[in-house]
Amino acid sequence: MDADRFPLRVESLSLARGGREVLRGIDAAFERSRVTALVGPSGAGKTSLLRCLDRLEDPDRGRVLLDGTDIRDLDPTYVRRTVAMIFQTPVLFPGGVEANLRYGMVEAVARGDVVEALGAAGLPESFAERDATALSVGQAQRVALARALIRKPEVLLLDEPTSALDKDAAAKIEETIRTLASRDLTIVLVTHNLAQARRVADTALLMVDGQIVDSGSPEQIESAWPDPAVAP
Amino acid sequence: MAGPGGRSVTLHDALELAIVLVLVAVAVGVSLGFRLGLESQLAVAVVRALVQLAAVAAVINFVLEHPPFAALFIVVMAAAAALTSGHRLKGIPSAAGIALAAISIATALALGILFGLGVFDFVPRFLVPIAGMLIGNSMNATSVAGALLRDEIESKTLEIETRLALGVGVREALAVHVRKAVTTSLIPLIDSTKNVGLILLPGGFVGMLLGGASPAQAAQVQAIILFMLLGAVAVAGMVTVVLVARAYVATGERIVIPVR
Repeated sequence: MDADRFPLRVESLSLARGGREVLRGIDAAFERSRVTALVGPSGAGKTSLLRCLDRLEDPDRGRVLLDGTDIRDLDPTYVRRTVAMIFQTPVLFPGGVEANLRYGMVEAVARGDVVEALGAAGLPESFAERDATALSVGQAQRVALARALIRKPEVLLLDEPTSALDKDAAAKIEETIRTLASRDLTIVLVTHNLAQARRVADTALLMVDGQIVDSGSPEQIESAWPDPAVAP
Repeated sequence: MAGPGGRSVTLHDALELAIVLVLVAVAVGVSLGFRLGLESQLAVAVVRALVQLAAVAAVINFVLEHPPFAALFIVVMAAAAALTSGHRLKGIPSAAGIALAAISIATALALGILFGLGVFDFVPRFLVPIAGMLIGNSMNATSVAGALLRDEIESKTLEIETRLALGVGVREALAVHVRKAVTTSLIPLIDSTKNVGLILLPGGFVGMLLGGASPAQAAQVQAIILFMLLGAVAVAGMVTVVLVARAYVATGERIVIPVR
């Protein structure tokens, strides 16, 4: 498969946790400049798959390929700079927003990079001076997004990024995700909400019980699986 | 009290002990008067203390008369401390092994310096009680540092993984929590060292005065004890956090919380 078109792929991925198989032989490819949604009921293995993509979990079998290379053969810190992860609940470190963006950066960061990353996450320049601990959850999630984007990742993994947000804040994040996809990023979005997948994603993979049982456009998934317990 | 070169227990000593028990009777009286319901606990505590002190006096007496057993006694103390601390560190993979390593390294290092450089004579009379103090204090530091780091890692997994996801190494991602655990384990001893003589007179100092030593001698020995304990506790705390952190780290700069 073309590594340029599909920067991130998984092959026969299996993972067991606590004696339970949470991923069972997953094969998938994530396309550049597209948003791929992982949908399915809770406990289906969506988050486990996402964690494998960032090497926060190592699979028992199978492999994750980043630009054609098994991520276990790459420096994990390089993998995580290239494949950025946004968690359901944003964690910002005490201090200013700019310090949060600069956290752990090895390369020099110009003020312009900070402003650009904030802008890409939908935040004005004035946010750089804000106290990171005094933000709303929606604002904090945007700062977390900016903190990921300043690392110039190729892939962006989003684990239920709007589930802790109110409707307006969620709509703004969804809009930002769409904009980011048009900028050459490969985006994987875990969502329990098929309606959100319809608004944001180009492709949806339906996961049930650790397996991918269907793939297609979110609309196709929705019509093929009318039971909301399967495709919520 | 009995011991080589010491006097044997006399009728006079037994009488002293009986007189002091009057004070326990006062405590029992207070408990009855205020309906605290502590009488049976007080009785159990007094009996246990008498039995345990008598037993330890007998054991130490035996060890002092048979020097080769001193080493065995120290090993038994270290093992008991490791088991106690290992129990406190429940949930951490190979907790007892970690506790044993931390307590042994700290104790061995301090004993090596104190006896190797001739601060104390290498005789069971000094070796056994000093090893006991080192083991006991190292055990406390190990329990506090290890349990705190375990709780930090397990309750702040999201924070740690957020750092990892930003491309920092696992060592750096854990650094805040490791520092907090070591600091917390050292604070009690640092504070008691800072305030020694101001807030409380340490047991060793009091014991030496009661035993007939001059205040200057008592102060000197107490200073040696406090400094050696500081060193040992710092080493025990550091070894503990390094090993506990390692127990949670997996290949690929990740942390793994054991499934229970």
